[in-house]
Amino acid sequence: MYNSNVRDKLIQGNKSLKQISQEIIAPIHAKTPTWWYIALLISLSMFGWGLYCKYITISTGIGTWGVNNTVAWGWAIINFVWWIGIGHAGTAFSIFLLVLRQKWRTSINRAAEAMTVFAVGCAGLFPLLHMGRPWMFFFVFPYPNTRGPLWVNFNSPLFWDFVAISAYLLISASFWYFGMVPDFATIRDTTKSKIKKAVYAFFAFGWTGSSKEWLRFEALSFVLGGIAAVLVVSVHSIVSTDFAAGVIPGWHTTIFPPFFVVGAIFSGFAMVLTLITLMRKLYKMQDFITDSHVDAICRILIFVSLIMGTSYLTEAFIAWYSGNEYDMFKMFHNQMTGDYSFEYWAMIVFNALIPQLFWFKAVRRRLWVVFIISIIINVGMWYERFNIVVASLSKDYLPANWASYHPSIIEIGFFIGTLGMFSTGILLFFRYIPMMAVSEIKGVSKYDMSVEEQEELKM
Amino acid sequence: MVGVFDNEFDLIKAFDQVKAKGLKIDEVYTPYPIHYILEGMGKKTHMTHAAFFFGVFGALSVLGFMFYASVISWPLVFGGKPFNAFPSFMVVTIVATILVVTIMTLFTFSIRAKIFPGKTAKIVRPEATDDKFVLVLKSDEPGFDKAEIEKLLKNNGASDVSF
Repeated sequence: MYNSNVRDKLIQGNKSLKQISQEIIAPIHAKTPTWWYIALLISLSMFGWGLYCKYITISTGIGTWGVNNTVAWGWAIINFVWWIGIGHAGTAFSIFLLVLRQKWRTSINRAAEAMTVFAVGCAGLFPLLHMGRPWMFFFVFPYPNTRGPLWVNFNSPLFWDFVAISAYLLISASFWYFGMVPDFATIRDTTKSKIKKAVYAFFAFGWTGSSKEWLRFEALSFVLGGIAAVLVVSVHSIVSTDFAAGVIPGWHTTIFPPFFVVGAIFSGFAMVLTLITLMRKLYKMQDFITDSHVDAICRILIFVSLIMGTSYLTEAFIAWYSGNEYDMFKMFHNQMTGDYSFEYWAMIVFNALIPQLFWFKAVRRRLWVVFIISIIINVGMWYERFNIVVASLSKDYLPANWASYHPSIIEIGFFIGTLGMFSTGILLFFRYIPMMAVSEIKGVSKYDMSVEEQEELKM
Repeated sequence: MVGVFDNEFDLIKAFDQVKAKGLKIDEVYTPYPIHYILEGMGKKTHMTHAAFFFGVFGALSVLGFMFYASVISWPLVFGGKPFNAFPSFMVVTIVATILVVTIMTLFTFSIRAKIFPGKTAKIVRPEATDDKFVLVLKSDEPGFDKAEIEKLLKNNGASDVSF
């Protein structure tokens, strides 16, 4: 019998099954709150500005960006890696915690998966527009063509990346969607509104909850969970080869794949924390997202933050130990003390030091502090990607090639646009989709009973 | 005959007793999967085996395609590597295989569980997706004593029994 003293009850307030479904679905039936419209308006205007900047990028060209011959990868790639990192939490939550049989994941995995889908969608836009002529996008597909057929280079990390990201988007979106099917059926069967009934009936794909369906549903989750576990590690490893396969000082290191994967899990979990503290406050979900849930994520973040700190130290150590003057220059002159020292130290403080505050229970218990630290971590992770991309590219082997990089207003607008796109997606998710996996929460709710209570029911 | 239960423990008790009587259970509808019932219904799914074969099929076809494209169709030297640069083909093979398995398993699920867009659900009790556990029996089976079974279900905590 599952009996844990480490954590409080998974769901507070001795809820009946009916209460669980009603309380989670409540935001879908309730009147839309005013703050939601205000937030949507802000998100849509950010999104709109982003669209305008994309229009300028496509109609005028990449020249509207701040990138130059030396720093050919600017904000576009920084933000691409940043978003992909955030998009990692979905699979990390759903799969890793599923494999580890962590039952507390049930109230968080839906939101984490939603975040993944939107974040990966945002990430995909950057390389697409960085191509300069995005209408030629289909050239990256290996399709029979009239140019030979000249196939794509299967040895190129950029092609691996294209395969990895598009596969990741498709897989996480379908995993997310099929997890929601039973919950859509619950909405269909409990709502009184005819329109909602028709809409959710369509999306429920005719789900009834019969044993035949559950049997296959469980097999499907098992297969997808098992196979997607590889993706948690593979996607960001492949993203890191975009850098590690290049012969640029600071990039050409073997630490990159694990370093990127851990960084991705770090920023992903931080973003999940941001999201669930918002959910808990805005929708009063404290019975489902308990203090102990927040606590668990904070503890994971301490651990991951220590790995991040170790990675930063290792990077510096290897730069010195390699004896390679270019690596040493990049690490000790360009980053630690030179032009990019602010970004470097911001990264160290935000990612390796500030999260250590989570050691204190007083910090973990204060939701607003947790919320602020989760934002700080994501800013820190953004600086990390900035360091990787810009610090290495700006000063490589030939001083004659050195250049500095400043983003243009168009690049900034593009990034703000994806922030708006992401928050629009999250707001729609809050409003129209059950924020937590209702059927899974019902499934674990019986673990909340004491052994005596269960025995009593079995009698 | 439809028996409605309020919790899974009552359902499991009734489920066992009906089975002990040698009657066939037509279907069980529950708000979440109950593994005891899934096993007790005696049905097996071969989706996991199917997924394995999808994986083998995916890996071979992806690898085969890359071999065809870079060795047979249009050989090109990239970075001094051999045409059949097997180690660097593995990356795409792994990821594309996962994609093939996912998509094909989803279709298999959709076909086998009959869950697809545009399907109208045949709902026995709408509460079954909310908080009730529904046991459906075939009352036209030989040796089916309506009164007796109704009593059995009620004794085990069925909140509602109907035909």
